[in-house]
Amino acid sequence: MRRALALLLVAACGRPDVIEPSRAVPFGDYTEIALDATPKGHRRMVPPEAYLRAYLTWFGGLSPGDVFYKARGRNLFDQWASYLVALGLPDYAVDAPRATQSNTVMLAAMGRLGEALCVRSAEHDLDARTAPDKRVVFAFEPVANPSRDDFADRFDILHRTFLSYPARLAPTDRTDRFYALYRSVAARHQAGLLSADKAAWVAVCTALVQHPETGLY
Amino acid sequence: MKRRTALELLAGGAAAVALHPLLRAAGSQPDDFFIFIHAAGGWDVTLWSDPRTERKGIIEPATTASIDVAGLRHWKTTGDSFEPLVVKSLVLGPAIGDLLDLADRLTVINGIAMNTVSHADGTAYSCTGRHRTGGTLPESSIDVLIANERGVAQMMPDVSIRFPSAFIGTRLDRRAVPLRIADVGALTNSFERSTDYLYDADRTEITALLSDEATTLAKTSTHPATYEQVASQQQSLGLLLKGDFTRTFQRKQLEQAYPQFNYKGRFYGGQAVVAGFAIEAIKRNLVRCVSFSLGQLDTHTANYRLHAHTLQELFDLVAGIVKLLDVTPHPTSPTTKLSERTHILVVSEFCRTPQINLNGGRDHYPNNSALVISPRFRAGRSFGKTDPDQLLALDFGKFTDGTRPIAPPDLLATFLGAFAIDPRRYMRDGEVVKALLA
Repeated sequence: MRRALALLLVAACGRPDVIEPSRAVPFGDYTEIALDATPKGHRRMVPPEAYLRAYLTWFGGLSPGDVFYKARGRNLFDQWASYLVALGLPDYAVDAPRATQSNTVMLAAMGRLGEALCVRSAEHDLDARTAPDKRVVFAFEPVANPSRDDFADRFDILHRTFLSYPARLAPTDRTDRFYALYRSVAARHQAGLLSADKAAWVAVCTALVQHPETGLY
Repeated sequence: MKRRTALELLAGGAAAVALHPLLRAAGSQPDDFFIFIHAAGGWDVTLWSDPRTERKGIIEPATTASIDVAGLRHWKTTGDSFEPLVVKSLVLGPAIGDLLDLADRLTVINGIAMNTVSHADGTAYSCTGRHRTGGTLPESSIDVLIANERGVAQMMPDVSIRFPSAFIGTRLDRRAVPLRIADVGALTNSFERSTDYLYDADRTEITALLSDEATTLAKTSTHPATYEQVASQQQSLGLLLKGDFTRTFQRKQLEQAYPQFNYKGRFYGGQAVVAGFAIEAIKRNLVRCVSFSLGQLDTHTANYRLHAHTLQELFDLVAGIVKLLDVTPHPTSPTTKLSERTHILVVSEFCRTPQINLNGGRDHYPNNSALVISPRFRAGRSFGKTDPDQLLALDFGKFTDGTRPIAPPDLLATFLGAFAIDPRRYMRDGEVVKALLA
């Protein structure tokens, strides 16, 4: 009897000879959700370091020291230490903690940095002596007094750089708005350190680098 | 007209009235302004608000041996210590400085129970009414609350110059986020722009474009408030980037405009420009609150010898602000003096020990005083008391949780209550102490 039971146990626990494959079943229907609106926790500001890293990357992989040397002069920008708290960074010298929300001063400080870097990039990239492959931000062939289509092609390059997607997919009539900005700035800058077209591209760059989508995506 | 259209028009009109300071002022009382000052480091209350001149219990009063009295304008040696300054029912110490001239406008609150001797915790408790929980602040600071209630339509609701401002939670209007800066120069630096490349008109157009873009994006966003905040910030930025703002608020300009302040002061000379900034920003109706912090009061060692001088310079600065507000018309009501609508609260994180330590200084002590200068408060007297032997807070009176000393949340709740703001909307603790209110 004992032998019979042991034999039965071995037979029951033994490996089956063949594993039947699962039957192929078609997937069920699914619902397409256009927008994921599920809560993801409290909204919070991206750390200022992320913004600064983005700025440094867009303008040619600069280091903070490069920015200081590149943007100094003619009151474009000055020392980083003057802006730590304004940029939202902690400043241990004055016992100020990291900012958790953006504010107008932060926008202004970022804006000043952005404008300075746009000016220096325009001076370099839009100079006739700069080889096309050396252009960092304005990576296109400049044309004087561009038509709307000429502008759109070049604006798209900047738009892809700063906002990471083509301008034609923007949810507003963005290209037309920026073309209007370009034309009115160019009209104001008939004489000055920058040519009319360079000044207008600086304005477009300055606006894109501070664009709400740039800061909030 | 459809009901929805009518409602939208009404709402738009109401918003316009709410947002435009001149329109608002025309229909009601002139707006109030607020100055919050944090005397950082912990002040010795026995030298100004709660003077002690006798050796009693553990109390060692200031003497000519423990502090330098040369230059202390109100020090008069009597016996071992100094002669208290009595102005009607208010008794003050010799470090009160020029505030002595304004004694009938001071509301002094003594015997504030702090239950802490930590700088970080005392600062948080004095400015938010809550102790820190771990490393974080559980509630927003008083300047942010006031900015949220009274300042969101202002261009800069709350300028916070090293003040321990805290914007906590998601219930507050994000326009009330304090503009935190290290000094006035950082503010003007941020708004300053080179005039060699782009012009003011270009920047005005850029900020208008970005504000429009943000408003358009808000309409299709899951979280429109974020884009709306950016839109309002870009609108403010457009106005602030115009050259006039940065020129006016440059240090040299402010020092020339307000020579009353002591820019060569030993302790606060470098920071005195914040007082000029506060006056100018209020005068131009750009802010609702200006909050700043002035330090150098943490005197554990022989540096205590100068503690009274530091306090004197602090109170001279506060007195200078009040005197200027007295002669400056309100920005939207020229017949009203600014001082009638400006409210000042001065706090510190705690007081200093009644006994002098072996290094000749005073350490941290869990009692405190506060100073309010506001037409909404009963002035010319002090409230609250401390133990004669221990300098610890005595019971103030009856609160809903029984008889106990007054504490920072009570003071902050009373400050909110003075402006008909229900503190319970913002604060877990604290009760409005009606006895303090005018």
